[in-house]
Amino acid sequence: MHIPDGFLGPQTYGPAYGVAGVLWAVGLRRLRRTLDPAAVPRLAVATAASFALMLVTVPLPGGTTVHVTGIGMIAVLFGVWHGFLALSLVYLLQALMFGDGGVTALPVMALTAGLGGTAAAVAVHRACGRWPRPAVFLAGWCGTVVPAVLVAFVLGAQPLLAHDAEGTPLFFPFGWAVTVPAVVLPHLLVGVADGVLAVLAWRALAPGEDAP
Amino acid sequence: MKDRLLLLVYLVLVVTATLVHDARLLLAGALTVTATEFGRRPQSWVRALRAALPFLVAINLGFLIVSKGDLSAAGRVLPLVNARLFFLVVLVFRILPAIDLQRALGFSPTLRFVLILATSQVLAFRRLFGDFEQALAARTTRRPGLRTSLRQGAALGAFFLRRAEHDATEITQALTARGFFLDRD
Repeated sequence: MHIPDGFLGPQTYGPAYGVAGVLWAVGLRRLRRTLDPAAVPRLAVATAASFALMLVTVPLPGGTTVHVTGIGMIAVLFGVWHGFLALSLVYLLQALMFGDGGVTALPVMALTAGLGGTAAAVAVHRACGRWPRPAVFLAGWCGTVVPAVLVAFVLGAQPLLAHDAEGTPLFFPFGWAVTVPAVVLPHLLVGVADGVLAVLAWRALAPGEDAP
Repeated sequence: MKDRLLLLVYLVLVVTATLVHDARLLLAGALTVTATEFGRRPQSWVRALRAALPFLVAINLGFLIVSKGDLSAAGRVLPLVNARLFFLVVLVFRILPAIDLQRALGFSPTLRFVLILATSQVLAFRRLFGDFEQALAARTTRRPGLRTSLRQGAALGAFFLRRAEHDATEITQALTARGFFLDRD
């Protein structure tokens, strides 16, 4: 789900940088305001943890493998704002250190996965708090599927947002009819793997407890 | 200063590439960058091509399938998309390795601090991940199935999360002991 540079037009990444910039500023201010010395190191290791979780691959039926996102786990453990900042840093590091994803896609990934994914995961986890195990599974699933839906929507909007006078797309050339099934359907399965992993990891982290 | 300038040049070139809609111009840019870098280090060519290839194949094949083999539509859309993508990938391989990210982002002490901590942890976690993979490979005679992979993934996830919590506590204690947080209010 890493969008490379060149797929999104300035009509998309310009406003996305505006919105994400405000949210990054708010998130950092909240981080400083807590006056908790552990907040910054926690953010750094949450970043490293979500980076490491993205290295974990799971085989899918048919012989292919996918990497999990760990967004649900990060959200449940660290909360929405820490998750948002940590995942933003992960995408920044991946774009600038390893060339995965792009700097123009950074705010879109931060908003869709970092904010949308973590917010959905935390909301579901809280809503289903009475049933801890299904809540963790659903948080893991939503943390993957919600960003996939949002990314599919953003990518599919490119032919409408950025085209020349004749209507020829200038960036990503496929509409929603292609992006929604192509991006969302595989992530419905990845989400299951993410959910199962979240439950197993949660059980390993907190044996005998109701929540991590 | 050099790193900050290089990062700025990279960002300006990326934004420029998204504002230029002439495939020939973008290809000329890619070839210029290629001539300055890859003449000296030909292996970078292979890496750049290998990185770009999956996206190029997916976009080109996908477009041909969706447009039901309409070559005139492909001729209008694909050259620009391909040239832009290739130019941007070449830029990544030419400029990013030369940038020290921690120096380049040094304008914000908090950001730099978080990045240094995160990068050190990321590198340690990557090494540990490799160790786990090798350990699994060494202990299994056949390719692991779904159940084994899920268990291994969960063990890894739990390990990394627990380790992250532990490292955060240790780093905080170490920094507090050295008075790091005294002047940061």
